[in-house]
Amino acid sequence: MNRNFQAIVVGAGPAGSASALSMARAGLDVALVERGTFPGEKNMFGGMLHRLPGLEEIFPDFWDRAPLERHIVKKGVSFLTGDSSFNTVIEPGSFDRTPYNGYTIFRPRFDNWLAQEAVNAGATLITSATVDELVYKSGRPDGVTIVGRQGELHAPVIVAADGVLSFLAKKAGLRQPVFDPGQIAVGVKALLDMPRELIDERFGLARDQGFANEFVGCTEGVRGGGFLYTNYDSLSIGLVFHLGSLRTSGKTPYDLLNEFLKQPQVAKLVRGGRILEYSAHLIPEGGYDMMPELTGDGILVTGDAAALCNATGLNLEGINLAVESGLLAGKAVAEVCRKGDFSKRSLEVYKELMNESHVMKDLKQYRKAPHMLHNDRIYSAYPELVCQIMEQIYRIEGTSKKNLTKLFIQSAKEKIGLGNLAADAFSAWRSL
Amino acid sequence: MNIVEIFDFTSFNIDREPHIILNQDICKGCDVRGCTNCCPANCYSWSEAEQKMTFVYDGCLECGTCYVVCQRNAFTRWRYPRGGFGVAYRMT
Repeated sequence: MNRNFQAIVVGAGPAGSASALSMARAGLDVALVERGTFPGEKNMFGGMLHRLPGLEEIFPDFWDRAPLERHIVKKGVSFLTGDSSFNTVIEPGSFDRTPYNGYTIFRPRFDNWLAQEAVNAGATLITSATVDELVYKSGRPDGVTIVGRQGELHAPVIVAADGVLSFLAKKAGLRQPVFDPGQIAVGVKALLDMPRELIDERFGLARDQGFANEFVGCTEGVRGGGFLYTNYDSLSIGLVFHLGSLRTSGKTPYDLLNEFLKQPQVAKLVRGGRILEYSAHLIPEGGYDMMPELTGDGILVTGDAAALCNATGLNLEGINLAVESGLLAGKAVAEVCRKGDFSKRSLEVYKELMNESHVMKDLKQYRKAPHMLHNDRIYSAYPELVCQIMEQIYRIEGTSKKNLTKLFIQSAKEKIGLGNLAADAFSAWRSL
Repeated sequence: MNIVEIFDFTSFNIDREPHIILNQDICKGCDVRGCTNCCPANCYSWSEAEQKMTFVYDGCLECGTCYVVCQRNAFTRWRYPRGGFGVAYRMT
C-alpha cells in the first residue's frame, strides 16, 4: 500500500496510540503503523498501570472505558534469601477508593483498546506492517517503507514510538548506535492460571482488589529483582535483570525464574498455578542519561524509544510516561502542522512541552537512581542482612539477648562492611 | 517451566525467512558469548565440537536481548519479523 498522510506514528503501543489519538482529535490525517496483527500482540510488561492524567482529561470516564483487571490496594516488598523472607506490606485505605492508584492490565487487550480509541477519533490503523526504512526527500525524512504489508507511507513528520530498541531513532541519528548493557534490563514473566477465589483467599483480597509485590534477593546475586501482580484469575510473576550483570553471571533467565518459583515462600504463593504464557521484553533503565535526542528534522521520539522509564527500585514507571510523551508529541505535531514547518527547530516545541511535564521533571530528579542500583550488595548481601537481623530478634532460646545496636553492627560488619554501609546509605539518600 | 517446551505456552506465527542472521566468523572469534545465556528463549547455542553458533529463530520472543549483549555486532541482519509474523502474545 502507498499513501500520503499528514503524520505517521510508528508503533501502536501506549506512546504511539496516545500520540495518534491526540493528532486525530486535532483533525490530522494520521497513520498508526503496527507490526503485530493487532496492537498489543508484541507487548509485555510486569503488570501495573498507574494514573494517566492526560488520557483522563480526554476521557473523563477513562477508568470505566478501559479494559482493566484488579485495582491495586496492597503493595509489598519482600527481601528473600534461599530459604527465608522478610516482607513489608502497605495497604492504605485510600488505595481502595476511586480514583484508584493503579491497576493490573493485559497488554494485548489494553493496547488494542487504546489504538481503537485512536481509530474512533479518525486515525488510520495499519497492522501487520513492520517499518523498515526511513524515506528521505531533500535530506529530510518524508516517510517510511513497510514490510509484511508492503509499501511506502509518506508524511512530512514521523513519530517514533517503536519501542526500546527504536531503529527509527537510530536511523535518524538521534540515539546512540550501540547500547550499553548496563543501561538496559530484560524482564521475563510467567502468567499463571489461578481461580479468582483462590487468589482472593491467598492474598487477602476482596471484590476487585489487587496485590502488587516486588522482590529483592531472588536473582542469585545478578542485579535485578522479582515481581508478582494479581490479575482477576491469573498471577503475573517474573524477574528483571540488568543485562550487563546477567551476561557476566553466565546464568540464564529461565533457570533463575524456575529457582525463584521454587524458593520455599514463593512456592507457596504460586502453588497450583499452571503456566499460561511465557514472555520477555527489554526495559530502558538508564534513566535521564540514556535518553536520545527527542527531535530531529521531521521526526519526534516518544515512550520506550526515548528511554522514558523511571526505575528507582521502589516505583517502576513506563506506560504512564509513554502515554504522556505521546500526547505531548501529538500536540506538538498539530501545532507545527498549522505552521507548515517540520524542521528540528520547529519541532523543539515537543521538547519544551516535555520539559514542563512531570515526565522530564521526574527523570531529572531521579537521574542518579540508576547508578545507585549498580551495586551488587543490594541484590544479595542486604536481603541476607535484613533476614538475619529479623530472625535473631525473634529467636528466643533461653540465653540472654544481645543488645539490638550491637546485633545490627555485628551483622552489618559481617555482611556488608561498615564503610560500605555508610557509602550505600549516602548514595541512596542522594539519588532518592 | 521447561524452556524447551516454550511452544506449549507461547504462540508464534513462524516466517520462512529468519529475521536475525549471524556472521559465523565473528561468533567464532568471540569468547564472551553472552547471547547463549542471556537469551530468555534459549535461541542461541554454541557447539564447541563444531566451533559454531546456532541460532534458532522459531521461538524468538523479539525482546532484543541478543542485540544489546552482543559486543561484536555479529549480526548481518537484526530486524523485527515482517508484519504479521513472529511471537503473538494473547494475554500477558
